[in-house]
Amino acid sequence: MINFLIVLFIISLIYLAKVEMVKSYFTLLALQGILLFGLAYFELKEIDLIHLIFILLETLVFKAIFVPLFLQRITKNRNHRHHNGPMKGYYSVFITALIVIGCFMISYAIHDELTIDADHQVKYFTAAISSILVGLFIAINNRDLVTHLISYLVIENGIFLLSLALGAEMPMFVNSAILLDIFTSVLIMGIFFNKMKDYFQNADTGQLSQLKD
Amino acid sequence: MIYLFFILTAVFSILTYSIRRRSVSHILVFLYVILMIGLGINLWPQAGLQLNEYFFSDRLGLIFYFILILVSLFSAIHYVKFVEDRNVKITDVALHNAGTIFFTGAMVGVLFTSHFGVLWAFMEATTLGASILIYHDRNQDALEATWKYLYVCSIGIAIAFAGVLFLGFAAQQVGHVDFTFSAIKREANQLNTVWLKACFLLVVTGFSVKMGLVPLFNVDIDAKDASPSQVGASLSSVLMNSGFIAIYRFYEAFSGTSLLPWMNKLLMIVGLLSLFFAAVYILRVKNVKRMFAYSSMEHASLVMIAFSCGGLGYFAAILHLVMHSLVKSSLFFQVSQMHRIFDSKLDEKIGSYLRVNPLGGLVMLLGFLSIIAMPPSGMLISELYMFQALVAKNYWWIALIVLLLVLIIIYGLAIKMLGIIFLKKSTASINMHGASPYESIMQLVLIVIVFYIGLFRPPFIVDTILLAIKTLPS
Repeated sequence: MINFLIVLFIISLIYLAKVEMVKSYFTLLALQGILLFGLAYFELKEIDLIHLIFILLETLVFKAIFVPLFLQRITKNRNHRHHNGPMKGYYSVFITALIVIGCFMISYAIHDELTIDADHQVKYFTAAISSILVGLFIAINNRDLVTHLISYLVIENGIFLLSLALGAEMPMFVNSAILLDIFTSVLIMGIFFNKMKDYFQNADTGQLSQLKD
Repeated sequence: MIYLFFILTAVFSILTYSIRRRSVSHILVFLYVILMIGLGINLWPQAGLQLNEYFFSDRLGLIFYFILILVSLFSAIHYVKFVEDRNVKITDVALHNAGTIFFTGAMVGVLFTSHFGVLWAFMEATTLGASILIYHDRNQDALEATWKYLYVCSIGIAIAFAGVLFLGFAAQQVGHVDFTFSAIKREANQLNTVWLKACFLLVVTGFSVKMGLVPLFNVDIDAKDASPSQVGASLSSVLMNSGFIAIYRFYEAFSGTSLLPWMNKLLMIVGLLSLFFAAVYILRVKNVKRMFAYSSMEHASLVMIAFSCGGLGYFAAILHLVMHSLVKSSLFFQVSQMHRIFDSKLDEKIGSYLRVNPLGGLVMLLGFLSIIAMPPSGMLISELYMFQALVAKNYWWIALIVLLLVLIIIYGLAIKMLGIIFLKKSTASINMHGASPYESIMQLVLIVIVFYIGLFRPPFIVDTILLAIKTLPS
């Protein structure tokens, strides 16, 4: 089951590179939240109940429901339905696929360093590092502020996966940290995003070039 | 005591935000500074001791803590005048002062925590606090700078968190995950070096945004430019110290392992690249605040280069940070006054500052001499120690490259600063109501402290730094 969920997560990353409607990003984020919920459940079901409930709430309520809805709400009246990156469509898919393959190879290269349940951790590594790099790729490839927020969340999902590779070692610390990170960053970025409409016509980062030497 | 301090930080922050009276808001900030002094007095006798599970009274933390108190006090005083002159709305004052207390409290956490996870959480908190402060002016520049700072810092902090997780992988392999500095340091030799390397690389990358170093330095420059000058002073001094101490904690924990030469090389590369970028940008910059921001980047890179040499370099790095914090804050404070007088921060519109505002001009002149390490500036001493450390390591080529880049930076600073201080080129209208002698005297005090350290090298300061770094390999 864990293998199946990880593969689905990687497919969602490739699909993220292809979508052009901002709304699709939110759907994919919600999907990733549900997949992370499943992974957290199967991976950590042996830890104590309170910690498990906390982590499951974080993934399901926060990542899969609250954050996508919040982003949808702050962007619904804005004039940026399509993303506007330099690399579109299948070029993005090709690059994302290359990232995933590269991460797969890197993960196997460090197989020997993973002494505890290495085969298991390699899967998480592939998905986690792919997610972080795909997040960075989305940020570089798009000039839309909403997409930048999405890319940040994809990076955070990657870090969550990385923490799952640690198993039940320090789930409370890791997940409290991720929750704090996403909660504060997304909320505050959301607030600033709303302020943007007073100054900028659309959400193109190309307009953010007032400050220069 | 330290937990009580954090509870009071939250209380002060909420009160400052809730009470919508300017005078009360300012008074609360001053009371908070007094609380900080109280904590300092409490912690000093316990120097070097563990306070509880997550905090210790570290000597290096104490050194930076006393600088934090000084800069916070002076920032608070300068902000009173800033609010009067600009007639800032009470809602903005309340938010700024609450943000200042939150930001300062987060930095106190960074300085005194003895746990890698808590360190990371406090660094995250500094990002949020700094964002509130950068957005103070509520204009397009401030919004752009805040957005960029928040976004890039969040990614930087996420990258640093991945580094902490890699440390977790290494610790997991030896049987348990205890993230206190002492536990990691004790067992560092048994930890897998591949994970430790990955951890250190990611931590340096992530926290580079706080120190203003390569690779994430850009947003730091924008933030210092778009924020009020007293915020720029904090970002250039105490936040830089916090970024340094965060990297230092990981370095210290791994310094007893075979990783030491590799870490030194990495810090040297980061330092050299940052120095190179500072030299390139400082030549083309036209804005005084950005110029000082790049100057801060130069000094942060010199600190990294000195630190990477080890031995005397450790001492030089800490001493340099101490003095840079004082000088750069005083220069940023003075820029605020200059901006009030000329209503511009572009160097082409500002001139004859020494004639227009003699006391302010003197601050600029002495501050400029200090940052280019001219005698009697104490920064000359720390830079000499840095070159001595480079030569001791037989890094002749690096010493020459550093010297060349520093000369380029001095040239870039001199042509602009000498123009601002002495040449008649002011095209802006002059508003002498903006001049404030008492502010300039306070700034002179900071610079005089640096001169005093340079001339007399007080044993008290030297011994404290030496004790702080005694845990590092000689």
